[in-house]
Amino acid sequence: MVGRPTRGYRVFQVCNTIILTLVVVATLYPLVNIVARSFSGEGYINAGQVNLIPRGFNIKTYKAVLHDSTFWTDYGNTVLYTVVGTAISLVLTTCYAYVLSKRNLRGRTFLVGVAVFTMFFSGGLIPNYLLISGLGMRNTIWSLVLPNAISVFNLLVMKSFFEGMPTELEEAAAIDGLSTYGTLLRIVLPLSKAVIATMTLFYAVSFWNSWFGAFLYLDRPNLFPVTLYLRNLIAGASGTGSVGFTGSDAAQAAANIQSVTIVLTTIPILAVYPFVQRYFVSGVMIGAVKG
Amino acid sequence: MSELSRRSMLFGVGAVALGLAGCSTGGGTKKASDLSGNSADSMTAYAVGDRFKAGKPLTFTTLYDDNTNYPYNKDWLFWSEVSKRTGVTLNPTIVPYSDYETKRSVIIGAGSAPSIIPKTYPGQEVPFIASGAILPVSDYTDLMPNFKDKVAKWNLEGDLDALRQDDGKYYVLPGLHQDVWPDYSLAVRTDVLQKLGLQTPTTWDELHTVLKAMKAAHPDSYPMSDRWSIPTPGGNLLNLLGQSYGTAGGWGYNNATWDPNAGQFVLTAGMDQYKQMLQYVNTLVQEKLLDPESFTQTDDQAKAKFTSGKSFVISTNAQELVNTYRPALATTIPGATVVKIPVPMGPAGATKMGSRLENGLMITKNARNSPDFVAMMQFIDWLWYSDEGEVLAKWGVEGVTYTVDPAGDYRFTPDVNYVGLNPKGTKNLQKDFGFMNGNFAYGGATKLLDSMFSAEELVFQKAMGARKTLAVPPPYPLTEDERQQSTLWDTPLKDYVTQQTLKFVLGDRPLSQWDAFVGEVKSKGGTSYLNLVNKAYQRYKGKKG
Repeated sequence: MVGRPTRGYRVFQVCNTIILTLVVVATLYPLVNIVARSFSGEGYINAGQVNLIPRGFNIKTYKAVLHDSTFWTDYGNTVLYTVVGTAISLVLTTCYAYVLSKRNLRGRTFLVGVAVFTMFFSGGLIPNYLLISGLGMRNTIWSLVLPNAISVFNLLVMKSFFEGMPTELEEAAAIDGLSTYGTLLRIVLPLSKAVIATMTLFYAVSFWNSWFGAFLYLDRPNLFPVTLYLRNLIAGASGTGSVGFTGSDAAQAAANIQSVTIVLTTIPILAVYPFVQRYFVSGVMIGAVKG
Repeated sequence: MSELSRRSMLFGVGAVALGLAGCSTGGGTKKASDLSGNSADSMTAYAVGDRFKAGKPLTFTTLYDDNTNYPYNKDWLFWSEVSKRTGVTLNPTIVPYSDYETKRSVIIGAGSAPSIIPKTYPGQEVPFIASGAILPVSDYTDLMPNFKDKVAKWNLEGDLDALRQDDGKYYVLPGLHQDVWPDYSLAVRTDVLQKLGLQTPTTWDELHTVLKAMKAAHPDSYPMSDRWSIPTPGGNLLNLLGQSYGTAGGWGYNNATWDPNAGQFVLTAGMDQYKQMLQYVNTLVQEKLLDPESFTQTDDQAKAKFTSGKSFVISTNAQELVNTYRPALATTIPGATVVKIPVPMGPAGATKMGSRLENGLMITKNARNSPDFVAMMQFIDWLWYSDEGEVLAKWGVEGVTYTVDPAGDYRFTPDVNYVGLNPKGTKNLQKDFGFMNGNFAYGGATKLLDSMFSAEELVFQKAMGARKTLAVPPPYPLTEDERQQSTLWDTPLKDYVTQQTLKFVLGDRPLSQWDAFVGEVKSKGGTSYLNLVNKAYQRYKGKKG
């Protein structure tokens, strides 16, 4: 690309910029809108007059939500589940992926098959529920962090990453007297920061956002994660119409409270993202290039 | 890959075996009438007017639908007061309101449901019947004197018949209303009416006139833009219109409608009344009085139009009026007033339709084998169906949350508030005490219901109360096979009618094609479906004698 860019290339650049700008606007608008709503007066929200800038500025709702003990209990639960869940998932996924990346492993195809099988087939809702109940894990953190601790997609990404690592490194380590675990811990993992950061992000986001498992396996409100709180809040406001004949109990959750809770719930993920992002890109790419 | 598929077959076999095992646990129940081993701690002479008191402290498990606006609290006065009066401790499984139905299905399917499953709308129990997981409660109403008393007193046998399955039993204990209790209607901007010198419309024709006058004064707006169109287009509007025209539409749409003159069911979409109804809505759309987006827009869009003064008429219920429209209008249009008008009348005259059964509760089959089964049924009867239990669940405890004035009317104590009825109260009847929590009180006498309405809602209820209640259509219980067959016809037919209804209403299809449309409905399974329904009805009639 020496000299003046061709005409076709300039046209492409213009189109590209326009399209990508539109994509950015489409992605960013809902977020900005929610933030604006969270600072707005209830009347303006219901009248649909809040777009990008808050109207009828108020922070009373923030104060109210921040003083709600249920919100903090649930928030704490989410943090706990996310940290424990991510740790367990990372350990298991790394071990499994590392083993699978060894071409001389006997029964490797079978082990990959076992993992891939679960991508396409699952027991279904009720058998899973029976299983979790039978294992006595209902109403414990384990019902959330153990099932699906290994995401097959992440496993395959990691496996490809490990496969791309030069075998000479590990052979050298073996000659210098490192055991298999030593090689993994002292040689391979330090060289895999990119993929580990990516996996951490993937797992953390999925644990942070998940609500269905908690909804299914937890019966006590003091164990609920904040996503469940949020979901209930939103459904409480929008579920009235579809019932048709309602009792008088389905009162409205203020649109304002919803926005505030959404903002507060999203902040941690938003705050972590920029720092992990540079690993994020390289990590996934490295894994993806190898077939 | 062959290895994989063999393995998947094994899994499949395992899953089937598991399913079978799940089914067989429901069996082995004793004959319904033999309660000899199940009467521990119950009252031998329990009758209307008695307070249930368990022989020794008992605990019953119950599912609990947890609403965000008044989240579950184990320290609520409700729980302790129930224990104090009856000796029964309720042990709730807390389920978030958002996905109550999903969890209910899963835990019933898994066989680990609590004994009492409240908040079940009539019809929702049907999927659980075949698996044998829930109790045919109609076999045990003898244990429930208050329930039987109210059914007899308010003449609810006919309504209950609608719940009966093909085996002649019903599986849900519904909430009982003394009278049909309409809530949904239209909200109208009364300040606009006044400015134009118009009367509140009482019929659909008058509404038409009013809308025309509004349009004349505000030519660039649609005077009416409606909501509640997702997932059912025109859910509320067509439902109200359907009733006024003597047919069914919107939320109330059903492929078969009872024709009392012919003594059989007819195809709803083939009725002349249905055509007249579409004609009416079509006129509103053609004259640009009704926003064509009414049938596709989200609630938020419709609300925004109404609360920003772009439209003047919209569907409402008592809550939306007070919680959404008024606060929003207060900030955007000073001086705007809005009321819920009595449902406009149509060709069917001053009538109202509807079931007097509200959502109720199911009982798990396993509970039948418990030694405390009789005590539990008596407890349920007391809490849900006795006058004392209903007042407790709704109003709370006398002297703490309410007082009774000399005229016999209930009043909140000065510091207790409920949906703004006592704005000075600092404590919330639901949040702080757990009464009116939606799980333990449904229906009741009209006087009790009215006692919790605001003055303006009472005006609405009075206007509606004066109208004649139409008899509910007779039931047509289907057998298991028929139910499967009917679903195959019913759902696609409903979809087709909904789709064509929209086309007629919006003018995409001229009403001159009506006869062709009726022919299409018939050929798309309408005739077969109707035959099935009428056959089932005849069979039911024959059985009943």
